[in-house]
Order: sequence, then C-alpha cells, then structure tokens
Amino acid sequence: MSQFEEMQQAIIDGKAPVVKELTEQALRDGVKPAEFFPKAIVPAMNEVGRRMRDCEFFIPEVLIAARAARAATDILRPLLVGDEASRSAGTVVCCTVKGDLHDIGKNIVAMMLESAGFRIVDLGVDASPEKIVQAVQEHKANLVAMSALLTTTMVNMKAGIAALASAGLRDHVKIMVGGAPVTENWARSIGADGYGKDAPTAVDLARSLVAN
Amino acid sequence: MTSRERVQLVLQHKEPDRMPLDLGASPVTGMQVDTVYNLRQALHLDPPGTPVKVVEPYQMLGEIKSDLMAVLGVDVVGLSQRATQFGFKNEGWKPWTTFQGTPVLVPAGFNTEPDANGDILMYPEGDKSVPPSGRMPKGGFYFDSIVRQPPIDDSALNVEDNLEEFGPVAADALNYLSREAERLYSETDKAILGNFGGTGFGDIALVPAPWLKHPKGIRDVEEWYVSTLTRRDYVYKIFERQCEIGIKNLEEVFAVVGNRVTVCYVSGTDFGQQNGPFISVKTYRDLFKPFHREINNWIHRKTQWKSFIHSCGSVRALLPDFIDAGFDIVNPVQCSAAGMAPEELKKEFGDRVTFWGGGVDTQRTLPFGTPDEVRKEVCERLRIFGQSGGYVFNTTHNVQARVPVENVVAMYETVRQCGRYPLAGRPA
Ligand code: B12
Repeated sequence: MSQFEEMQQAIIDGKAPVVKELTEQALRDGVKPAEFFPKAIVPAMNEVGRRMRDCEFFIPEVLIAARAARAATDILRPLLVGDEASRSAGTVVCCTVKGDLHDIGKNIVAMMLESAGFRIVDLGVDASPEKIVQAVQEHKANLVAMSALLTTTMVNMKAGIAALASAGLRDHVKIMVGGAPVTENWARSIGADGYGKDAPTAVDLARSLVAN
Repeated sequence: MTSRERVQLVLQHKEPDRMPLDLGASPVTGMQVDTVYNLRQALHLDPPGTPVKVVEPYQMLGEIKSDLMAVLGVDVVGLSQRATQFGFKNEGWKPWTTFQGTPVLVPAGFNTEPDANGDILMYPEGDKSVPPSGRMPKGGFYFDSIVRQPPIDDSALNVEDNLEEFGPVAADALNYLSREAERLYSETDKAILGNFGGTGFGDIALVPAPWLKHPKGIRDVEEWYVSTLTRRDYVYKIFERQCEIGIKNLEEVFAVVGNRVTVCYVSGTDFGQQNGPFISVKTYRDLFKPFHREINNWIHRKTQWKSFIHSCGSVRALLPDFIDAGFDIVNPVQCSAAGMAPEELKKEFGDRVTFWGGGVDTQRTLPFGTPDEVRKEVCERLRIFGQSGGYVFNTTHNVQARVPVENVVAMYETVRQCGRYPLAGRPA
C-alpha cells in the first residue's frame, strides 16, 4: 500500500492517531501539504460519504472518520501558506441558525467540507443573522452553509439571507441550506442558492456553487 | 366505555368505540406551553391572560388540565416523578412570561438569569451558585442542555461517573408515586402511562444530565456517539449496571403502583435521523437490544404493563428488532422520515405492535399546512393506523410552538369525527 492509500484507509477506519503519524511522516518525506487533499483526504471522505449513503456507515462511524480526517487537516491547514491557501476550495461560514441547537448534522457537513479542502468558519449553534454577516465580512467567505432541524427555526434562515442582503453581501456569497425539515422547495422559496439532503451532497453542492 | 378500557382494547389489537387519544401523558406526547395557551384561549376555557403551568421546563411543555382533556377526549394520563429535567421539583408555582409573551406558571426552582446576548440561563436544581445547565436562546421556545464536559482521561474513566443519575429510587419518590397512582386510578377513568425513568439506555437528551450540578464521565453529545464505537466496553458496562439498577427500581415501583398502570415508558433514546437509523442494526443488536430485552422480559413476566419505546426519525430498519426485544408500543412514528410510510408500517408491523403517534406530520402539515390539509391528513392516518386497533392517536412528537391554533383545533375535530369505529369506507 502506498503512503496515501494507507492514510485513506486510516481515515475511513477512523484511526486519528495513525492518520496524524502518517501525515507527519509524509511531510518529513517531503510531500507538499496541498498534495494530501486530492491524494488522501478527499478520496477517503468520498468513500465515507458513499458508505453513509449506502447505509454501511452510520453517525458514529462518520463522526470518527471525520475526526480522523481532522487529525490531518489540523496539521496541514497552518502549512498551506501563500497561494496554496488562497487556492483552497473556498471559505465557508457554517452554522446552525438562531434558536436551534441541533448540531450533529452541521458538524458532519462542516467536517466533510473541510476535508474536501474548504476553509471552515464554524459559528456553532444558535447563530444570529448579525453573527453570520460579521463572519462573512471578517473572513471574506464565499459560501454560507446554514442548518436548521426545527420547523420553528427554519424561518431564521430567511432572516440570515435578508441580513446578508441588507449588508450588501448577497452577491458576494453563495448560500446553501439543509437539515431534516428543509426541502428543495423551501430553499428556493427563501432565495437560497442550493439545498443538500446530506453531507456528501453538501460537498458536491459547495463545489458547484463556487465553480459558478 | 372508560378511557382505560378503550386503551386496553387497542393494545390488544381490538376495536373499541373510538380511537383513544393521548395528549400530555409523557414528555414526548405533549404540547409546548405557548401552543397550550393559544388552544385554551381558542376553546374559551380561560379568560385572556390566564397563565398555563409549565410541567416540563426543559421542553417547556404546558399542563394538559382535566378541562382540556374532557373537551378533546384525552384517554391517557401520565404518572411521573416529581423532579424535572433540571432537578427541581414541580411545585411552588410562580409567574413567568415566555419570549412569546405568554403568561405561564413555573416551579419555584425555575431560577433563570439572562446572559449578555439576552439568552436565558437555567441552573441545576435551581442553584445559581453552580454553572448553568440549560439555555433558552433569545426569542426561543425551549431550553437546551449546556454541555459540561470535563476533560476525558481514558485511563481514568470510571463507569460510576456516568451512573450518578441512576441510583436507587428514594423512599419519598415511591410514596409519591404510590399516592399519585391511586389518585389517578380512582379519580379519573384514564389509562395511566408511567414515566419512571432510568430504563432508557444512552438517551442523548439525557446524557448531558442538565439536572446534575457537576456531571462526570462522558457528557458531550458527539463524544457520546463516538464512544458507542470507540469505548464500547465502557458504554456496555454503563448499560449493564444501569439495567440492574433499573430493574430493581421497577420492582420497587411496581410494588407500590401495581397494575393500575397500563403503559410503562421504557426508552426515549432516538435511534433515527431523517434519512435512516442513527446506528447500524448490528450496533443496536450488540449494544442496546440485550438490555431492552431484559427490561421488557421483566415487565412481561411480572406485570401487565405494556412497554413503550420512543424513537424519532427513520427507524424502519430497527422495528423488527424493537418488536423482537419485547416492545409493545412504538412512538412517535415519524412518517415524514425515510421508509416510514403509514400504509407500509401498518401492513408490515401493525399486528405485532401498537403505533402511538404519527397522527399528523409535525414537520410540514401541522405547522405549515391549512386546516383543510390537516383534516385530510389526520383522517387518512386514522383510517390507516386505526384498522383492528393497535393505535393511539398522538401527533408526531410534542406539538411545537408557532403552530397555528386553527390547525390544532382542526386536528382534534377530525379525530372526533373520523376516529369512530367501525371505520368508515373500509371493505366489509
Ligand atoms: C438528535 C436529535 C436531538 C438532540 C440534538 C443533539 C445535538 N446536539 O444536535 C436533542 C435530544 C438535544 C434534541 C432536542 C430537541 N429536538 Co430533536 N431531534 C434529534 C433527531 C432525533 C436527530 C437529528 C440529528 O442529529 N440527525 C443526524 C444528522 C446527521 O442529520 P441532520 O441533522 O439531518 O443532517 C444531515 C442532513 O440534513 C444534511 N444537513 C444538515 N445541515 C445541513 C446544512 C447544509 C448547508 C447542507 C447542504 C446539508 C445539511 O447533512 C447532514 C448529514 O448527512 C431528530 C429527528 C430527525 N428526523 O431528524 C429530532 C428532531 C429534529 N427534534 C425535534 C424536536 C421537537 C426537538 C426539541 C424541540 C425537543 C422536543 N422534543 O420538544 C428539542 C429542541 C432543542 C433545540 N432547542 O434545538 C423534532 C423537530 C420537529 C419539528 N417540528 O421541527 C425532530 C424532527 C424529531 C421529531 N420526531 O419530530 N433533538
């Protein structure tokens, strides 16, 4: 098995300490930080996404794999300097909307996006529209990912979009939404740019949104 | 026919005079307090401004009083411990106002503090000298746990740390349950649903233990899920001890409440998410099922109680195992989740299990539909689930805030109209 294949397997198996060790070893061997994403992390997380969709992986398995991927990205992020960093897939402000504290889905989406090479600014749960606007400005984000799990808080996605519009930022960011009660129709009706039904879709969606 | 007989008949998969209805007998079949207030007003049960009691402060569930029960035709009452999710007792009522401006009454221990953002903080046992354990976001409708996770040192993890909340049931709690059971049995004709606690394994709503002042062990939500794989032995040992304690407590509770109780709320662990189960069938079988089976076996051997499991989300893949583990009743029947279509569930499992819930889609129809859409859906659900008994009407989980009161009224009107046996429009 090549170094990268070994690392992919360790991510899929959720072995964070092994991933860390392999990452450090590869760096010592002269592998460039940016190379890890296309060669190890992205393919590994694609496989995790596939297993999730095919019901081979469930929440605990996905969380463990995502944590293992994070063991690599935590080391690599600070090393991606200069244009390598700006060539990152994009900067995403992630949050669970105001009034909502369900964050398992949002965390999985954030971790998947991160391992797909996006820079993540995670605002956590109960994020107010003002907080979202502030984060987009401060981090020059080009994507906003909002999650809501409750019918009582879905409406706060609309407030988030309105706040971005009144701050004059609507044309600078793409907005994607998701979470159990959210649908394609709802996303369209509130003027979001995309809806994703699960974390693998969120990654595809984010890629296509930044490409346009 | 009494409510109790009605419920007993459907649990035996027989058809009584009409479908029984639950509202408020358990912490997952109730109604958020703002909505209770609006409903009471709409039904002219109270003069405007009359406060409603918050009987469950964590989810902010409102009291379903006997006048409301009578109007709606509710058939089940809850028998619960006095301590709430925040550790204080449901007593010594004082006025409070929700973010929606609804006048309510809350227990004396409901001591809150605003934080800098205008959120409301809540304290375990109402004790403000320790860190808060709950937060209601500004403008929000209910509390959520503040996770207090001490640093985890795997070499020092001790199962006792995660067992603090599962002690032997106290003598005064038993006295209370005994008196309450007798009162509910003799003063009402309702079926009694016992919420005794302690038999739900790995319930993520309880893992953060908002009633404890200094929770130890694994208390973070994500860490807990991860631990079901990475620290399986640890989790298994917790469950093993919890099961032992749980059965011992059930013995003591049964000794004082007896078969006055019809249904026992055994498990509230959420095994489903929107698109599928949270965990694999294999994990369920390895880690949870042995304990569910043990509890249910005890119940079926020693009592006439029926065993109730609540699990949100898509649990189709797990239902055969739930039934095999001895559960008699499944709730909340979230038909809006993957693979949970009412016809299929009823056809595949309807003769072996009682569905308790699923009466209307609380993710779409009830909050966002028109009263006519609500009527149509409720009528259809009753027709499907009600065949040959095996059904107790309830929404899918608690009725939330921000639900139009016309929809709630339309729902209960429909239950009255379409819930009569023999069911209309079925093949002879
Ligand atoms: C676990 C859970 C909880 C946990 C949350 C723990 C936590 N820290 O997150 C606890 C127990 C605390 C909880 C509390 C409550 N819950 Co809850 N909960 C759930 C449950 C069972 C699973 C949610 C979950 O984590 N799924 C797993 C993750 C991985 O899935 P996901 O979040 O859907 O995310 C995936 C996709 O949606 C997508 N996605 C998510 N976000 C985004 C964002 C973007 C941009 C994209 C593209 C994609 C995307 O990708 C993710 C990964 O594939 C659901 C049931 C359900 N049907 O979903 C109820 C559910 C959401 N809860 C519900 C309720 C009512 C509550 C409470 C109000 C309690 C109550 N019973 O009264 C409180 C409210 C807490 C609060 N203030 O927010 C209801 C909501 C009903 C409604 N009308 O909206 C549900 C639907 C249950 C039900 N049967 O009705 N809950």
